[in-house]
Amino acid sequence: MSSIDEDQALVAAALNGSAYAWDKLVKRYEGRIYNQGLRLTGNATDAMDLMQEVFLGVYRNLHRFRGDAKFSSWIFRIAHNKAVDMNRRKRFITAQPRLSNLDEDNGMDNFPGEERFEPDARLGEQQLNDSVLNMLSELSLEQRWVVELKIFQSFTFDEIAELQDISANTAKTRFYSALKKLKVVLEEDNVLS
Amino acid sequence: MSCPKTQHLLQEYFSDELAPVVRDELDKHLSECSHCSTELELLLMAQGNLQQWQEKQVPHWDRGLTLFRQEHKTISNASGFWSRWQWLPTAASFVMLCVLVFNFSIVTDDNGLTISFGGSPTSSSSIQSQLAEFQQLQNAEMQALVARIEDRADSNNVQLMQAVLEQTQRSTAESFDQIYSYFEQQRLLDLQDMRVGYEQLADSDYKTIRSLQQLVNFVGYQSDIR
Ligand SMILES: [Zn+2]
Repeated sequence: MSSIDEDQALVAAALNGSAYAWDKLVKRYEGRIYNQGLRLTGNATDAMDLMQEVFLGVYRNLHRFRGDAKFSSWIFRIAHNKAVDMNRRKRFITAQPRLSNLDEDNGMDNFPGEERFEPDARLGEQQLNDSVLNMLSELSLEQRWVVELKIFQSFTFDEIAELQDISANTAKTRFYSALKKLKVVLEEDNVLS
Repeated sequence: MSCPKTQHLLQEYFSDELAPVVRDELDKHLSECSHCSTELELLLMAQGNLQQWQEKQVPHWDRGLTLFRQEHKTISNASGFWSRWQWLPTAASFVMLCVLVFNFSIVTDDNGLTISFGGSPTSSSSIQSQLAEFQQLQNAEMQALVARIEDRADSNNVQLMQAVLEQTQRSTAESFDQIYSYFEQQRLLDLQDMRVGYEQLADSDYKTIRSLQQLVNFVGYQSDIR
């Protein structure tokens, strides 16, 4: 059974009232939706709120899901809409001035040298994620979405086009311009350091 | 040094699928044009930096199951055979509660359940003796069944008693509410235990119940023809 068929079987069973199937369905996607929320909002509380809204939306609209589309496309379309709604209220997705520029005087933001302390694995993880968030904050909203769906969710440009109601070509162009922008940021970083 | 083809070619490079002809053309150009190949390298590096994201585990949440169960009523109510036994732990709890709170004492009848069918037989002695034998047999089986059910209830009660005594010893100022909620909790646990227990019992006693039904039918038949 392919994962697409499995999704559809789980949807059908959940519609029939199987709590087990619903639980399994949520488990399959919660990680992707939650991490998307983290990348969009930059904090765990908002990411959690967003994820819960997404799954509530999925639950409320499950009977509308048509088997001809991929469930993953369908759920990420809902996730997209919920994020846009939430951003209207909270404004977390804005092109912000770079954190590193703001904190230049604050030595805490530099990578810890050996003389300060040994960074443990957890800290390293958080630093990697922070640097990803930093890069994402350089992008426009449109670029951010395409990057999110292409790099982190592995959708094709055709799928992204459908999900965002744009043409595949527009999606492709946005992705390229996003990478170009990030390249410039990296070059600037290298000049500065 | 710049190249007029960079934008177009590199945008294509990130396409989902490339025709082999285009792929060849692209590779050929990249091997010849240092501007495009350097640019591509930097773009891939930017992409690689994003891919360093470390997946975070989702904090614990109920996955909407509470809502789901509420709306689908998947918490099934006890139905069929088992619903008839639901009162048992409740009754046991209540009796215990009375014993404890009101200091009642209850004397149980050791004779257990006796079934008498009454009436003097008018049929032939052979049928009568067969019936008596059958009755005796079934009586014994019924007694055994009832004893087993009582055993189970007893052990439940003993456990309840012990637990309640422990509970009350801990604090003599235990309020009625606390005891009651304890019973309620215990009752729910019991319900689960007993359901499993009775399911096992039912398996083994299915035959007994069947023959009891036969007996009842037979006796009913006997009194009809009388
Ligand atoms: Zn070139």
